[in-house]
Amino acid sequence: MREFHPLVKRWLDGELTADQLGAELAAELAEARALLSGVDHSPVTLGHELDQRVMAAVRSRPARRWQRAWRWIGEAHELRLRVRPWAVVALAAAATLVLMFAPARQSRAPAAVAQAPESVYVKFVLYAPGAHEVSVAGTFNGWDTHATPLARADAPGVWAATLSLPAGQHLYAFVVDGRRWVADPTAPGVDDGFGRRNSVLAVTPRGARVS
Amino acid sequence: MDRLGARAAASDGDVVRAVLAGDAERYAELVQRYRDRYARYAARMLGSPDAAEDAVQDAFIRAYDQLAQCRDPDNFAGWFFLILRNRCFAERRRTKREAVADVSQDELPGPGRADRDAERSETQQLLARGVSELTAEQREVFVLKHVEGKSYDEIAAATGATVASLKMRMHRAYDRLRAYLKERT
Repeated sequence: MREFHPLVKRWLDGELTADQLGAELAAELAEARALLSGVDHSPVTLGHELDQRVMAAVRSRPARRWQRAWRWIGEAHELRLRVRPWAVVALAAAATLVLMFAPARQSRAPAAVAQAPESVYVKFVLYAPGAHEVSVAGTFNGWDTHATPLARADAPGVWAATLSLPAGQHLYAFVVDGRRWVADPTAPGVDDGFGRRNSVLAVTPRGARVS
Repeated sequence: MDRLGARAAASDGDVVRAVLAGDAERYAELVQRYRDRYARYAARMLGSPDAAEDAVQDAFIRAYDQLAQCRDPDNFAGWFFLILRNRCFAERRRTKREAVADVSQDELPGPGRADRDAERSETQQLLARGVSELTAEQREVFVLKHVEGKSYDEIAAATGATVASLKMRMHRAYDRLRAYLKERT
């Protein structure tokens, strides 16, 4: 194998100019120029789905213990309480503290906030800090991406909307900025047959749950 | 600055710390920030954009799994590059083992290859095949210096190799590429 002259290698490295090489190296310089002319600087564009695949993998990772506990707090649970006057005062104080110091969470499963005999108020919450608009579309609104916009909540990046839903199973997904479909990361999902996942919500007269 | 503006300007360190604190959705900011920056490096190392996409995706997932081990969150980019680099080297070793003897992978037709080659000049195609026959170390230094435009000092900082050893690899690469081009023109 015939090697390039050391000076030509230094030219290839950008350490010398062509004038510093001398006429006797002109032929080698031409070869070196031809070599560099073949370097392809064109950019490489990766598929748009890469971000979604990475984030789907991230969301599938098991949450740490304290994250699971925090998520449990946001879900609907049946509680039986015996109310005493002093307890009402204590609970009110505790609730105030929670509202003052609770940080924004990644996302919350829909939570039932009130009940009626045949329908339940369900609060949809999504943490989408970079979004300009968020809506929820599902079987309950004919998958209309404009019918149910979420509003900015008090916490930064958090969007929320409360809907009255009839009892039954509902499929839904969030729509971010009118084009990006986002499954609820804390709710179970099912394939929609088109490569996306929809979240599943079960509503009963006693409340709503996501599992 | 509004809330969205503040979020857009968040440093890598801020985002890494937020993710480690439980805000996993913010990892998307790092993915968006670096997904294309290293795409060309991976594509030239592995020989195709498709392989590059798989490598970049795997590297991001691996980086998330190991995020707690990122000692300098403000240098997430450098740390991520090392993970991607390891992935590319491992892929090179794997494909080398699987390659059929004396048949170059780059000379085999593949999906989309004809379209990509049509966009490249004959010289570019020839050099790309020559580069694919270099060792992984030679190929990396050639790609980083002549495709990505990095200096030897920058490559040394990114890879941990010394400038002297990088130059030695590069100069061997020049000779091998010269021989390759001479045989085929």
